[in-house]
Amino acid sequence: MSPFLIGLENFLQALTAGLLLGGIYGLMCVGLGIIFGVMRVINFGQGDLMMLGMYVSFYLFGTLGLGSLLGADAGSIAAALITGPVMFVFGVLLHRFLISRVTGVRVASLEGEGHYAQLILTLGVALILSNGGLILFGSTPVSIKTSLSSSAWELGPLVGQDVSIFLNKARGIALLVSLAVAIGLYLFITRARVGKSLRAAADNPEAATYMGIDVDKAHRFAFGIGTAVTAVAGGLVATYYPFQPYVGIEFVIVMYAGVVLGGLGSIIGAFWGGMIIGLVQQLATLVLPVQLQNTAIFVVFLLIVFLRPQGLFGVNVTRA
Amino acid sequence: MLEIDGVHVAYGGLRALDGVSIKVGAGDFVSIVGPNGAGKTTLFKTISGVVSPSKGRILLNGKDLTSVPAAERPHLGIAHVPEGRQVFPNLTVLENLEMGAWTEAGRRDWVANLAYIEKLFPVLQERRRQLAGTLSGGQQQMVAIGRGLASSPRLLMLDEPSMGLAPTIVDQIFEAIAEIRRDKRITILLVEQRAVEALQSCDRGYVLETGRVVLEGTHDALLSDDRIRKAYLGM
Amino acid sequence: MVNDAAAAARLQRPSGSGWLVPLVVLSVVYLVLVGTVTNQYYQLTLTLVPVWATFGISWNILSGYSGLVSFGHAAFFGLGAYTLTMLFVLFGVTPWLGLPAAALAGAVAGLVIGYPTFRLRGHYFALSMLAYPLAMLYVFEWLGLQEVSLPMKRENPMAYMQFPNENRVYSLIALAMMVMALLISLRIERSRFGMSLLAIKQNEIAAEAAGIDTFRWKLKAIVLSGMIAGAIGGFYAVVLLVVTPASVFGMLTSAQPLIFSLFGGVGAAWGPVIGAAVLHPLTEILHSELGDKLPGIQGVVLGMAIVYIILAAPEGIFWRVKDRFRGYSVGRRIAETALGLTLLLLLFASLHLVPLLWSAPNPKAFLALAPVPLFALLHWRFLSAPPSSAMLPAVAAGPAATDASPPPAMPERKAPPPGAPVMLEVKDLSKSFGGLRAVQSVGFTVRQGDILGIIGPNGAGKTTLFNLLNGIISADAGSVRYHGEEIRGLPANAVCRLGIGRTFQVVRPFPRLSVLENVVVGAYVATPSDDDAYELAIEALERVGMAGDAHLLAGGLTTKQLRLLELARALAGKPKLLLLDETLAGLGADAVEEMLGVIRKLAADGTTIVIIEHTMHAMVRLADRFLVLDHGAVLAEGKPEEVTRQPQVIEAYLGKKWSAYARN
Repeated sequence: MSPFLIGLENFLQALTAGLLLGGIYGLMCVGLGIIFGVMRVINFGQGDLMMLGMYVSFYLFGTLGLGSLLGADAGSIAAALITGPVMFVFGVLLHRFLISRVTGVRVASLEGEGHYAQLILTLGVALILSNGGLILFGSTPVSIKTSLSSSAWELGPLVGQDVSIFLNKARGIALLVSLAVAIGLYLFITRARVGKSLRAAADNPEAATYMGIDVDKAHRFAFGIGTAVTAVAGGLVATYYPFQPYVGIEFVIVMYAGVVLGGLGSIIGAFWGGMIIGLVQQLATLVLPVQLQNTAIFVVFLLIVFLRPQGLFGVNVTRA
Repeated sequence: MLEIDGVHVAYGGLRALDGVSIKVGAGDFVSIVGPNGAGKTTLFKTISGVVSPSKGRILLNGKDLTSVPAAERPHLGIAHVPEGRQVFPNLTVLENLEMGAWTEAGRRDWVANLAYIEKLFPVLQERRRQLAGTLSGGQQQMVAIGRGLASSPRLLMLDEPSMGLAPTIVDQIFEAIAEIRRDKRITILLVEQRAVEALQSCDRGYVLETGRVVLEGTHDALLSDDRIRKAYLGM
Repeated sequence: MVNDAAAAARLQRPSGSGWLVPLVVLSVVYLVLVGTVTNQYYQLTLTLVPVWATFGISWNILSGYSGLVSFGHAAFFGLGAYTLTMLFVLFGVTPWLGLPAAALAGAVAGLVIGYPTFRLRGHYFALSMLAYPLAMLYVFEWLGLQEVSLPMKRENPMAYMQFPNENRVYSLIALAMMVMALLISLRIERSRFGMSLLAIKQNEIAAEAAGIDTFRWKLKAIVLSGMIAGAIGGFYAVVLLVVTPASVFGMLTSAQPLIFSLFGGVGAAWGPVIGAAVLHPLTEILHSELGDKLPGIQGVVLGMAIVYIILAAPEGIFWRVKDRFRGYSVGRRIAETALGLTLLLLLFASLHLVPLLWSAPNPKAFLALAPVPLFALLHWRFLSAPPSSAMLPAVAAGPAATDASPPPAMPERKAPPPGAPVMLEVKDLSKSFGGLRAVQSVGFTVRQGDILGIIGPNGAGKTTLFNLLNGIISADAGSVRYHGEEIRGLPANAVCRLGIGRTFQVVRPFPRLSVLENVVVGAYVATPSDDDAYELAIEALERVGMAGDAHLLAGGLTTKQLRLLELARALAGKPKLLLLDETLAGLGADAVEEMLGVIRKLAADGTTIVIIEHTMHAMVRLADRFLVLDHGAVLAEGKPEEVTRQPQVIEAYLGKKWSAYARN
């Protein structure tokens, strides 16, 4: 095989891997993006909420028997999807009892103190979740075992005899499901009345109140949805990626990078931001040592922030 | 219908309203005029519940609103078209109007209301799919008024609809308000700095100055009173 | 009387010695603990308390004072740790020299990171700071520096900061470093440096308009902050003898100083010290007692502690205790502090009883619950919300509140003659926002000694015009000449330095500082000496008749006092031209009269004034001339009595059909 073809194959393989990863990242970012977009809250606990989603999915699949009921492959996907409503309830409760104490209409307009309060509160929640997870779930990495994660589709040969790409089945299916969820969510916020009211509450909370929209309720709903969406992404990751209670921190950074890339406040942008992070991470391996693929993310992230602070798809984040 | 009884409001040590009492009968068109900083916007915010009074009561059809949260009040039939328009900039024109129809009544009458609004402001029909933030000031004001109408209100509160608009647009807006008044027979409460436009179409008017009602009466009485000019221009 | 007030005010100037007693007490308690604790693990815990406190102080100097939240302080900490380690490993440089090198590395990193990143604000600043340490983490892993140990020196270990027989020396060094950092932080706190950062936190635009070069101060803060973080990071490596990228660049490392500072009291030099002293031992004791049974318990409790503090005392322990102690006598303060420290130490000690929960059921197991009542006692005694009267003292309680004094008589003053020298000449000034032409070809002149009133309906572009004049926003076209010199395009702080002062519609004072300290911020622009700045501030307060209130906390002022404070703050910079933005808004009739007297007096003393105002009754009596704006353009200009009779002005205010009605 000629060096060119090898290069081409490597490139295509990295591109595919980037798209697969990016789709999942995109879904995670959308979850965080909804919370930030509607509430203007930097939620440090998002990664740990995702971790919790992974364990919910894991137990739904194993202990609660979805795996044996539906078979390992379908069961794993069902588990990931059912994780959504479960974590929605968790998110709503978390907002009701903690987050709402330091966020909301009054706090959103305050600089300074209110700002600090939500930062440290979500940091506290993150610490409780990840370390509490350690107590509850133990530190041994687990994963949802299906036949999909160890098998692949072969696409090709695309060029000549040899150039073909391999697509891990678990990741491929995870991508499809995450696309479906993201599209569903997109339709929800652009077409459904309640979804539109979330955007209205984000755009101008005071005017939303004049419309009779209960902004605090909208925030609670957004927090629940954001939690659920990221948790579903977690459930999907769990089908091919061994995890432990500290896994959240690996992903929360990716989520923030993605959300800022897409433009703080843009929910759709968040998906593409996550997609770009996935692509950068995988394509960087073609030119950089593997250890530096994450550094590449941060460099791209900083470049975007400096050159185009409103993000790639951003709406202006400062509400006048 | 609406009775404001000795309302005091203070924020941050600043006395914005100092015992204001205003009565609005069902179907009335009442204008409140006064120079900047007189407390007009605060009065509106108090009625819609965003600001709480330190003293006094607000009654809507005899019901005390004090304990009704702000987000509940539109469902009682109050539509507040805020100062500076405050459209949802990242929602389309149509979506803005839909948000206006968030109330039960608004949802019920949606089709009729939308038709009415778009008849009133044909430009909104042309721009249905455009993001409201990209509209001109006058068009945004139309969206804001349309959004208020979409809730099928019994009381429509308009806060300085002329602010920052070119004179010809202002005329258009006031004509539209007069038209709403003719067509809908809803109660209208208008706050304006431009005294003439506000007073000439109202039934009764109040002049607010530094948080107090200094004059009230029918529009003829008020318009011929030179004290209004003094209130505005100091001499 | 004025001199007495000034003397009283001078007493209010922070003398800078209030820190000595607490610092000595704290050091003694610490040294006693270091002397008595024998367990190796707890010795290390004790050593790390000042280490984390110092790191917290470093974070607080940047983020606590200036309000720019950094999520990435591990970048400085880690660079310091690796600088010291690599110098030692590769070149045999002793940590005694490595520490200054680490500090230097941190300072340089602060400069390199701060320079581009300060262009960002709010969330963007916070999140991009997160990226730096994480990017470095992977770079150091890639460089093959996953785990670097400091070499052991068997000969002459002390020369290499190694004390094989006596680990406690590390505690002493840590304490010394913390004391140094604390003294730096305390010194900054009430100096020009700290006050400028505070002004930035409160309102960056207003700070610029008060002549504060915000970018320069922020850069200074991050360099100093990076320096301290680098030094303490280097020392951390010395104590632990091994560095890994995750332990010094990781996200938790960035979170530590933030958590300690916010818990202990953000924006207070003592805050991080309190936070580290409470939280670090708490979590380490739990870890050592329960780590085998409940792995991660320390993290859960740390999380719960910070959630608790946000719900119970969101401003942090320092501020809450300070509010509670307000009004206590010195003796009571000492007694309360001793009680608090004792309860805290008892709480720590009682944590050792918690493992009894796992013992066989017997009456002693109840002792495991001992921390609960101790915690409840601490909460009730120190952290529950104080009765509101103990918070900021109400103005009525303060002596000599100016509300009681009769309004001064209107001073005699004449409008300047037409031939007076031109001070400010504005020509064709224009500014558009998107499609909105906010200011269109505005031109006017201000002569020395003028009081020019700028009036016009809502949205006419008055405040935008001010923002153009003093450089807060840049004009699209036109010129602004001050004493014949073009100032368009200068940054706001430079405009202020030329002698153009400015007040804002919304007054945002520092609520926990005295009136005098609030005003002194405005004086820095006029003098390089902090002492002179206080003199100027007192002088400015005398000019507005507020010298008697100099000691009051700004948080409890009335609207009138706030407006006077804002005016004094602008005056303290010795401006020749004052731009006043709605100084009379929201004032009662008496207060308006008093304010008018003050402004007239300023003008009579030679300050030229341009004022935006809606309160027309006052304006017609105050201004020599009116400039009427409508839709961003000049509608009329002239004497008040003439301008207010011009039909186009009346129409702009009252509606265009007014004249027609009025004639009928």
